[in-house]
Amino acid sequence: MSNGGGKTGRHLEKPSTWKRKSGADDFAQAIAKIAVAQLLESQGFHSFQQSALEALSDVAVRYASSIGRSAHYYANLAGRTESNAFDVIQGLEDLVYVQGFSGASDVDHCLEDSGAVREIVQYVNEVEPIPFVHPVPRFPIVKDRELTPSFSRKGKVPPAEHIPAWLPAFPDPQTYSLDSTVDARGADPHAANGKFEQERENDKGDRSLLSSQQQMVSGMFENPTFADPDDAKAKKASVEGNPFLAPPLKVGEKEVAPIAPPTKLFNNVALDNPVARNFLDDKSVSVLETFAPAIEAMKSTSCDSGEDQTTRVLNENPRVRFKIGVGNRFLGRSTGLSPEKEHQRTLPWFAMEDEKDDRKRRAEKILRESLENPDQLVQL
Amino acid sequence: MNPNHNPQSSDGGRHDDDAALTEFLASLMDYTPTIPDELVEHYLAKSGFQSPDLRLTRLVAVATQKFVAEVAGDALQHCKARQATIPKDKRDRQQKDKRLVLTMEDLTKALHDYGVNVRHQEYFADSPSTGMDPATRDE
Repeated sequence: MSNGGGKTGRHLEKPSTWKRKSGADDFAQAIAKIAVAQLLESQGFHSFQQSALEALSDVAVRYASSIGRSAHYYANLAGRTESNAFDVIQGLEDLVYVQGFSGASDVDHCLEDSGAVREIVQYVNEVEPIPFVHPVPRFPIVKDRELTPSFSRKGKVPPAEHIPAWLPAFPDPQTYSLDSTVDARGADPHAANGKFEQERENDKGDRSLLSSQQQMVSGMFENPTFADPDDAKAKKASVEGNPFLAPPLKVGEKEVAPIAPPTKLFNNVALDNPVARNFLDDKSVSVLETFAPAIEAMKSTSCDSGEDQTTRVLNENPRVRFKIGVGNRFLGRSTGLSPEKEHQRTLPWFAMEDEKDDRKRRAEKILRESLENPDQLVQL
Repeated sequence: MNPNHNPQSSDGGRHDDDAALTEFLASLMDYTPTIPDELVEHYLAKSGFQSPDLRLTRLVAVATQKFVAEVAGDALQHCKARQATIPKDKRDRQQKDKRLVLTMEDLTKALHDYGVNVRHQEYFADSPSTGMDPATRDE
């Protein structure tokens, strides 16, 4: 209520700055609320309505502000910019005139012996100080701008004679020289990334950062082909899996990667650790492929449900099915997953989303069980 | 302080007042008001007040604290009076609601004496259970 009214008033006054000021004011109002709540408690209240507390703290804050405003006014009236104690006392009296105080009727009374101050002195002597519960930081915080260090501070010599040493230093040449960035990327994209990040931290960006960023982005898109394994099937799967990740034009023009593990070995590694496989493929694998063993496991589970051979199926030959499964998933059909599953119902993949989670959970459970009971595996 | 003191009686009285005021301001450095200095400084700065003197900030803080305490005390009296006016039969029923809760109604009455007109908006509905449960107190 009071809050809403105040906000509306201020909003009408300065609509442009209201948004920005609300942040600092929220903090101050929160502190005021805590302080007022402490005072209420000391007066004997057990609790309060939220709206009443907000109203009272708002009034308290306005009280302090109006003391300051009239003190400022009296200082200006006397031709000063800084207020002194008498300005404050005069401002206090202005506020206390409503209730009246001793000596208020005397227009020429001395401010040193103001009745208003006397009441405050009495209050201070009577009431035990209740310190504020929380440490309050100084606010609002004014941030110091961090300037770009000058040539002289960096200990560098300006590249040309006409540039004085006190001017802000140029960024490192790598950030704006096109050739060096390209070379670095060609040699080792990750090293280039690191260097680029470092440079960006050290120096603020300049206009050539844009071009180097563009190169970075294009490098990212080249990465799948750059680390392209010669596993054609995997390549195909990834293309099918996510056509946006694999630019088809660049497949042929890139040189074949030096490491060419045999397909079988490669897949053994992948079988043992899907994450390793993901790593080898250098992010050209979709998430679905990572979970493929698990998905495969659930499929076989749903097929062989109730039988003890589920774990065996999982460990025996998941690879072939895994490929087919991924392909089919994105073709939108589950038909022909494997010969023994032909009887399964055919559903578009989005309709199977609900089943997926269920199956994954079951697959994980089975995996866990097989890990916990290795002796069963041995028996199998 | 001497309440019967006439400020215009003599020069000696003025010197006493001067000393008393200075002493009071100095004693404020040892007195920690509940309203934190930072808050008061923030609002004083917003109102255009400029002074490097911490004692003046404390003076304003103490004055504000006194004002709030007086309003709260008045509201407390209103609250107690309202609870006392509840008829006996009803009071037995509401015995568990004996807690003193600062309500908008009491605050409005208390602030009215200090020249501050606060009113509920007609459609404003504070939950009647507010403040009854200590758990919801700091929400």
